[in-house]
Amino acid sequence: MSEKSAEVDASPELPLGTTPPFARMHKWLKRGLFVCLFGLVIEGALTVPALAVWYGWPSLSLTEICSELMKVRYSDDTLECTQPYPLSGPPFGGAPEAAGQQTAQDRWGIQPVPGYPRVGFRELVHIHEDRQAAGNG
Amino acid sequence: MTSLTLDQHQDESRRAQKQADRWLIAGTILMGTLVLGPLGLPVFCRGILLLRKAQRGGLSVRPMMVTLIGYVIILDAAINSIGWGLDIFANHALITRTIFTAWGNLMDGGYFWHYNELWIGGAGAPGEKAWIIVCIAVVFPMRIAAAIGFLQMRRWGHQWMIVTCWFGLIAWMGYILNMTMYADVRYAGVAFPVLGWWLYNIFYITPFLAIPYLHTVNREIFSD
Repeated sequence: MSEKSAEVDASPELPLGTTPPFARMHKWLKRGLFVCLFGLVIEGALTVPALAVWYGWPSLSLTEICSELMKVRYSDDTLECTQPYPLSGPPFGGAPEAAGQQTAQDRWGIQPVPGYPRVGFRELVHIHEDRQAAGNG
Repeated sequence: MTSLTLDQHQDESRRAQKQADRWLIAGTILMGTLVLGPLGLPVFCRGILLLRKAQRGGLSVRPMMVTLIGYVIILDAAINSIGWGLDIFANHALITRTIFTAWGNLMDGGYFWHYNELWIGGAGAPGEKAWIIVCIAVVFPMRIAAAIGFLQMRRWGHQWMIVTCWFGLIAWMGYILNMTMYADVRYAGVAFPVLGWWLYNIFYITPFLAIPYLHTVNREIFSD
């Protein structure tokens, strides 16, 4: 009668390559990997729609959202997103869209601090509409 | 009851493995595009189920953990590369300008602050471009190549998965410490600072889940 060797990794339940001391760890790593897989896929799919809706789509078109964000970024209400941007732009040698800008509000120093305001849920829609009303009025 | 000869068993196993891999590869390619992810996930899961069925049927197929780690690491690298590739090579496309600056405004000011002002365009946060370029040019291609070798159950694949996943420690620490040094640029005026970034990016820790397995798996299952 032989004792079952503790070293036998021929146990039918253990996957190939997994030995008994590490079986539990491998099981939990597998579960973690599945969580990461599903997490990556779901958040990846939701990223574009969630961002679009947060920043005003469909009330604002993508180009309008782009322009509004540029206005916030560089604290300049006259800026617009040139669409389509010429193919000669970066990284193919041409000037980027914000080249030479002078209006951005920053506290400069070794660690710069941006000065733009926080943008809330669909706040860009109100900002856009207010500006249009002010322009018409 | 008929039993298979060794040759028949090996042929049957190879066939089952190839069939599962077709679904797994297709699924990973779709998921790697980010936006087509929901289409890719069921395709990928079918591959996993086929593999599990083959395993339970007694066929000699790749262990599930090796499959999972290999493909998830490839997916992780692909998704990162797509995002950062757009930042380098397509930073003036409408979708990039809108969605990246939107993401930046929501979670990481590095992708909002002075976006598209650098000569090369894209994210202008201090140090960011260096990390982007080294990751998409060195870290992720090496990791994908290693994962392919790993999925083929090669010894070099296993070894280089260990190396390239440990790269991830440098990449994560370097990237996060750089963000920390310029925390105001990254988080001032952002809707969901710090916690938002971590909740979004925590799913990219896959290399750190792979490392303990890579060091404790019985290496004999990988052949030259």
